[in-house]
Amino acid sequence: MRASARRAFADSRVRNGAFTLLFAVYAYANAVGYRRTYATAASRIAFAHAFGDNAAVRLFYGVPHDLLTVGGYCAWRVGGIATVIASVWGVLAAVRALRAEEEAGRTELVLAEPVGRLSVYAGALAAIAAGAAGLFLGLFAGLVGGRLDAGGAAFLALAVVSPVPVFAGVGALASQVAPTRRLALELGIAVVAVAFLLRVVADTASGLGALRWLTPLGWAELLRPFAGPRPIVLLLPALVGSALVAGAGAIATRRDVGNGLLPDNANRRARLQLLGSPMQLDLRSERGTLTAWGVGVASYALVVGLLSTSLTTGALSANLRRALEKLTGSASLTPAAALGLYFSFFVVAISAFTCSQVAAARREEADGRLETLFAQPVARRRWLAGRIALGAAGVAGLALLAAVFAWAGAASKHAGVSLPHLLEAGANCIPAALLFLGLGALAYAALPRAGTGIAYGVLSVAYLWQVLADLVGAPRVLRDVTPFRHVALVPAQPFRPAAAALMLAVAVLAVGCALRVFERRDLAV
Amino acid sequence: MAAPAIRTQALTKRYGRTLALDDLELRVERGEAYGYLGPNGAGKTTTIRLLLGLHRPTSGSAELAGFDAWRDAVSAHRRAAYVAGEPFLWPALTGAETFAYLERLRGGVDRAYRDVLVERFQLDTSRKVRALSKGNRQKVQLVAAFATRADVLVLDEPTAGLDPLMEMAFRETVREAKERGQSVFLSSHILSEVEAVCDRVGILRAGRLVDEGTLTELRHLKTRTLDVTFAGTPPRLDGVAGVTTVSGGAHTLHIETDGDLTPLLHALAEHDVVGLESREPTLEEVFLHHYDGHAS
Repeated sequence: MRASARRAFADSRVRNGAFTLLFAVYAYANAVGYRRTYATAASRIAFAHAFGDNAAVRLFYGVPHDLLTVGGYCAWRVGGIATVIASVWGVLAAVRALRAEEEAGRTELVLAEPVGRLSVYAGALAAIAAGAAGLFLGLFAGLVGGRLDAGGAAFLALAVVSPVPVFAGVGALASQVAPTRRLALELGIAVVAVAFLLRVVADTASGLGALRWLTPLGWAELLRPFAGPRPIVLLLPALVGSALVAGAGAIATRRDVGNGLLPDNANRRARLQLLGSPMQLDLRSERGTLTAWGVGVASYALVVGLLSTSLTTGALSANLRRALEKLTGSASLTPAAALGLYFSFFVVAISAFTCSQVAAARREEADGRLETLFAQPVARRRWLAGRIALGAAGVAGLALLAAVFAWAGAASKHAGVSLPHLLEAGANCIPAALLFLGLGALAYAALPRAGTGIAYGVLSVAYLWQVLADLVGAPRVLRDVTPFRHVALVPAQPFRPAAAALMLAVAVLAVGCALRVFERRDLAV
Repeated sequence: MAAPAIRTQALTKRYGRTLALDDLELRVERGEAYGYLGPNGAGKTTTIRLLLGLHRPTSGSAELAGFDAWRDAVSAHRRAAYVAGEPFLWPALTGAETFAYLERLRGGVDRAYRDVLVERFQLDTSRKVRALSKGNRQKVQLVAAFATRADVLVLDEPTAGLDPLMEMAFRETVREAKERGQSVFLSSHILSEVEAVCDRVGILRAGRLVDEGTLTELRHLKTRTLDVTFAGTPPRLDGVAGVTTVSGGAHTLHIETDGDLTPLLHALAEHDVVGLESREPTLEEVFLHHYDGHAS
């Protein structure tokens, strides 16, 4: 068990390290940011007052219990988002350690050694537990670095990682049920989405607060870090997590290795659509992923549109708040301003989608299929250009969905924001996303094995730098490095054509370089 | 006369500090079946990756079907087909869907012949690649490659994972290809397979071509094997000129010689020999001769 745990831990060290760093920086930035912006008691009261009882903000961050202390603020701002990220991490980690290993045939090799099924399973889970401990330490270090007291910081960090046992259990169970990595991931992430939706309803709809008891994300709120902590609630994730892990373990030790409980329909009549070119086959392979992104963006956009009439400035980050007060001169926001803020979220999300496309391209090469493809009369340039075009089309499609569904939500609340304005807001997401697509493609072309990591890394750093640059008082030249700084809050602000043109130009240049570099290098399995 | 099916000139490939291929000179004529032999890690797959333009030569050049393997890869691949040692296919596609995809990439194959091959290799084409065994995935590749009727067939250890019956089907298919005038480049470490289908053989060791010739030529060069049976205890023959290897049992000796047999026959004449069998070496023995102490 120890050997397999070490192996699984080593396999995921890059991702675990990235999440840990992200948590540490995010926790630190929020603690320091709040203390700086709201230095006096009066300003904190004003902030808490302005925040009021705002459904739109609860959607993202959950319910605040105490906004007058740095700890209470962090519990709300860090806890609300980081618990969701930790939940997703739990699913990813479990599916990777269990189903992905099995799909690749490595589990079979390991089980041919004199080790038991249970010990291999337990090893994988031990590695996840070690990874979760890393997340905990990252958060703790960030919070303590932000000068919160150690006891409170530890409890908040514990609350944030409290959903991990449950969602690692969900991932483990999905890995038993699904015969493929892809399906296991989709099942696991769907459960996270439902848990998130339950929290949103519990936090925003009056009279339904009890629903919080039904979701691990609600349990994290009920722990009330920095606001009358209730450690007894930790029993819930501990018990449910144990039950799921034990259940999945019982299945894992009883079923045929390599199969899942769901049958893999291995025999079927040939389906000959979307086999005409490499790009068509890529589209065929990515259908599920594209659909999932589309459903996610569309439903989020709909909710955002519905809530656009109820946002006030109090809930925003200090930077945005100042920017908006300059812009609107008031503490309450027009729906257009609210939508502008929400669309800044879509800019990041759609940029993240492009990283997933870079990862998919790399997987084609790492799994050896590109060798098979390029032994056919297919030019490398044609494949990579098609792959990038597919990513770009995905970006445009997601931007369009965001615009249309946000409009549908806003229109139903008579927010008075027109469809053309929201289409402009959607289009405003595209240049930045294409910039990250171009940079990711270039990273993949030049450094195939590191490309995916670089793509996600550049995006994370660009995002964090936008938050951190002000806090550390970086000079303007450095602050302006991140593309997110140059994306206007359309429809609240006018579209910035010059910045967009520059981003597109860099994107085109990067794609051009990527195609050239990719044509000239050895394929790397 | 068309350009040779395959030609490399001073082809060299380095990966970092490792010299994978060193000054390789290969020439495979049209219609010829060329066996490319070497132990694991000798550089066979590297050669093939360079021939297909998947990797780029450090120096020297490679031509496939008359086109530069790196610069004109697409033109070369229109006239060539490839079977990889590891079947890397699309796991979510069935065999039939894989055939349809590869056919469209190429712009047409001999469908009637493909049906013959599916039958011959007993392939279930309605099954997803993910659910196929390695041998069956290998069959998918083989059927797709031979159905192209391409001028040059590049085969990298193509029978790994096939059972003996399927191996016979493979040999039959290669012979058909040769009869049609197609060229075959067969990388292998299965000597009987090369012996059965190839006209000429090259032997690769640590990135260098150490020998090359027709099977007849290589036999001339190499050892001769004698199995001798004695009435009594076999004598010790280790010191006799020309004898390279001796092994034996209670009444027998297995002797490999190198060159002139006269000293050995003189030595044997002093003993009571009841049986003597002499034969040409198999390719296995030729191979072992080259890799003595180096084969992995």
